[in-house]
Amino acid sequence: MIGSPLTLNVVFHVGPVAITTPVVATWGIMLLLAGGSCLLTRRLSVHPSARQAALEVVVEAIEAQIRDTMRAEPRPYLPLIGTLFLFIFTANWSSLVPGVEPPTAHIETDAALALIVFVAVAYFGIRNRGLRGYVATFAEPNILMIPLNLVETITRTFSLVVRLFGNVMSGVFVVGIVLSLVGLLVPVPLMALDLLTGAVQAYIFSILAMVFIAGVLGDAPATKSERKE
Amino acid sequence: MHFDWSTLILQTVNVLVLLWLLRRFLFRPIVGIIAERKAAAEKLLAEAAATCEQAKAQADQAAQRDKALAADREQILADARAAAETERAALLNGATAEAARARDLAQASLDQQREQMRHELEAGARQLAVAIASRLLERVPAPALNAAVLESLNALSPDHVQALAAPGEALEVVTSAPLDPAIQAMVRQRLSGLSALHFSTDPSLILGIELRGTHATLRNNWRADLDRIAEELSQDDKQLSVA
Repeated sequence: MIGSPLTLNVVFHVGPVAITTPVVATWGIMLLLAGGSCLLTRRLSVHPSARQAALEVVVEAIEAQIRDTMRAEPRPYLPLIGTLFLFIFTANWSSLVPGVEPPTAHIETDAALALIVFVAVAYFGIRNRGLRGYVATFAEPNILMIPLNLVETITRTFSLVVRLFGNVMSGVFVVGIVLSLVGLLVPVPLMALDLLTGAVQAYIFSILAMVFIAGVLGDAPATKSERKE
Repeated sequence: MHFDWSTLILQTVNVLVLLWLLRRFLFRPIVGIIAERKAAAEKLLAEAAATCEQAKAQADQAAQRDKALAADREQILADARAAAETERAALLNGATAEAARARDLAQASLDQQREQMRHELEAGARQLAVAIASRLLERVPAPALNAAVLESLNALSPDHVQALAAPGEALEVVTSAPLDPAIQAMVRQRLSGLSALHFSTDPSLILGIELRGTHATLRNNWRADLDRIAEELSQDDKQLSVA
């Protein structure tokens, strides 16, 4: 990527809708993750194989992280947080595939992820506290904080977008510029650093999502669905 | 700056679809199998705990059985000891009685032998006395013997002589040697109150006379004296043994 990071290449059109490269890359990632999950979880057993054990380690690590960060039962939040982490991690590392730009290097993808987190925060807040309880959280610690809390809710969502977009896009942009300037092997350390940055950003995005959701849960008792899960 | 809203919507939908797919094909199966394994482990632990409890209960029952068996064994041993003690006492009593009986029998046999021996000795003494007396009497002249007979006859109480036989009944006069006719006449004269006299001899009388009537016998001879002495000696022995 040496062009503007805000420009999107249209791959094809479906009627009036333009299908851009991040969407196609996301489909590929979806195919990889969903297909791989489907293949790996076809023959699950109480006595796990090496691949099943690795999958269980990943899932249990995400559960443990949710439990430690949110101080809550991780099962209701596992699909969302796990999907965010795995998708962002895979998307960030998709730059290893030649010719593929990470979807997270485009702001629309990051905005979509942040939008999902924003909605999820409201959903879990209302589910746990009820609509009145969730709205009341904006008046904490006192009613004078309502404007600030509203602004914070919006800005922290934008901060999610900008943080992920800036880190991934800048890494890819720098690697693209260096590659165009000095040749084959020089960008390799930068690419490794880009991979590290991608992993860290996936972790940070997931942690922040957990923190935002945990912030609206408060000390309210778990809902019926939570207890059920 | 260009922001593609359609891409935003598509990416949002894509992520939501991916969320559903991963929830359906990754998280739910993995969480399910982990829960299943946990349930199986808990079931195994519960079964192990139940087995442990069962083993503990069986061990307790076995201990109680052992205790009961030990108590039964002690009871049986106590009963056996009591039975053995009873049997030993019975055997001891039997043996004591048997020994006492054997001792009594031996004592009786010994007394009998001693009595028999004494009788034999007395008989021997009498025979010896008779033999000695006979030897001595052989050297005594006949008139002296007849005089002794008459003296013995005279020593008898007349009342006793009359009571020997009723009038008309025969009276037997026994001496150690045949009497001369003259002596017999003197005897008849002395016993004149009696109807019939028969004279006979019995050397065991040694010396003296014996009148044998139908109701009684009147004795005044050495043999009678020796018998009396022997009787008195035996009475003395009995008194000594009783004392």
